[in-house]
Amino acid sequence: MKELAGSIGQSLLFVLAGVARLWELGAAVASYTFLSFFKKKVIPRETLFHQMVLIGIDSTAIVSLVGASVGTVLALQAAYSLKTFGALMYTGSLVCVAMARELGPLIASIVISGRIGARMAAEIGTMMVQEEVDALTTMGINPIRYLVVPRVLALALMLPCLTVIVDVMGMLGGWAIGVTGLGINSTLYIAKSVDALCLKDIYTGLLKSFIFSILIALVSCHQGLSVSGGADAVGKATTQAVVISIVLIIVVDCLATAVIYYALPT
Amino acid sequence: MSESEQTVIEVKDLVKRFGDLTVLDGINVTIPRGKITVIMGGSGCGKTTLLRHLIALHQPTSGDIFVDGKNIVGLSEKDMNDVRRKFGMLFQGSALFNSMTVGENVAVPLKEHTELSPEIIRIIVRVKLELVGLTGFEDFMPYQISGGMKKRVALARAIALDPKIVFYDEPGAGLDPITASMIDRLILDLSKKLNITSVVVSHEMKSAFRIADEIIILHKGKVLQVGTADEVKNSKDSYVQQFIHGESEGVIPFKQTSEAYLKGLLST
Repeated sequence: MKELAGSIGQSLLFVLAGVARLWELGAAVASYTFLSFFKKKVIPRETLFHQMVLIGIDSTAIVSLVGASVGTVLALQAAYSLKTFGALMYTGSLVCVAMARELGPLIASIVISGRIGARMAAEIGTMMVQEEVDALTTMGINPIRYLVVPRVLALALMLPCLTVIVDVMGMLGGWAIGVTGLGINSTLYIAKSVDALCLKDIYTGLLKSFIFSILIALVSCHQGLSVSGGADAVGKATTQAVVISIVLIIVVDCLATAVIYYALPT
Repeated sequence: MSESEQTVIEVKDLVKRFGDLTVLDGINVTIPRGKITVIMGGSGCGKTTLLRHLIALHQPTSGDIFVDGKNIVGLSEKDMNDVRRKFGMLFQGSALFNSMTVGENVAVPLKEHTELSPEIIRIIVRVKLELVGLTGFEDFMPYQISGGMKKRVALARAIALDPKIVFYDEPGAGLDPITASMIDRLILDLSKKLNITSVVVSHEMKSAFRIADEIIILHKGKVLQVGTADEVKNSKDSYVQQFIHGESEGVIPFKQTSEAYLKGLLST
């Protein structure tokens, strides 16, 4: 019993310490971002744009593919249940609302945490191992400002955009299945979708994706910066970055949904 | 020059512990201005740790480090960055940014710390690369050039802002003897031409005797000897002699007696 309590306490402390370190990193990033409004050359622009291209443009194809697939699957599965109630024509509303509120931000974030989060952790981790981060420090360049800030900002700008792409592709996928496979009239499908969807669905989804983007970038950069040792440590940090990001995304998603749709007045 | 003007860096009673392990045990050294000082010692004697303290990558457990008379222990990041403007550092593995070209690497400190226009920066980069004998390599990526060339690019980057002090961590490590001696020549050249104070951490005797104005020998976290190359060569200390001649047998035993070996095996 004593041992159990001890190990629970220990893991709790471990988690709290991790949260505190993330918070610290986040605060540093926030203060540099704030500072950049008043001072030139706080954010290295080249890195920012390079990361934006890498995250945004280079991920468009994979994110679209995954989005369309999810929309298709959702339409097929929804139709199966809805048919029993004779409510097949509501497939469109279900797909659109689910994509905009939940699946769009979630799918985009998970794909990006695997694609970009892992990359950030591995890149910064390798820089740690090869003393490149020390080199920055000795040049009087703060590694958080130089490496972490542009990555966080790039992801925070691009993930909501990618989420819009996933939303749209998912809806298109659902529509394609609805019209061809399920035999719903195209005009009816679109009309039902537009009826069901309201603005709040879309902006809460985008807000969520923004929060997730910050989480992914902070967790991944933090994992990268805590690498010490060699290739083994880089591998571990990369895995950790993805696992922790995905777990945090889902936990925060639960909380955000509860707050947005149940705690706040509608 | 008065005595304080002749000393650039003064280390007083520096102690560093990592957990139970004492790596630096009361180090007192002074680094003279405009000279080349070589810090030597066997692997694990604390020489790299000492170097990392001098550039404030580590904070000491106790003791003080004065750079130009200013204590850098416990300095805020902003103040420390002002001190670091005087420093250049050549890392053991060169530590070039792999995602940037050679020219961009050298330009990083210039872009970050000056308001110079891109054209001027390009000219300075060319001049610095010429100083290390790499004219025309601006557009190469670090993985396209050899280890010796990487070291030289890193050196060009270290002197980009015309530092007063340049630190070298094992400049000859991993290089063939000819390239290593070329790097040594470069260190000598730069410190003469640009009147730079150089602090070199090394375990290669040949290279140390070639370049050093002063040699500091560390052993087990303590300063064993300080002196010119000749003073070190003629040292009576048996460890110093063992180190210079690279003998495996000496004060530090390589083989143990059979009883000691047996005892060691059975003790746990």
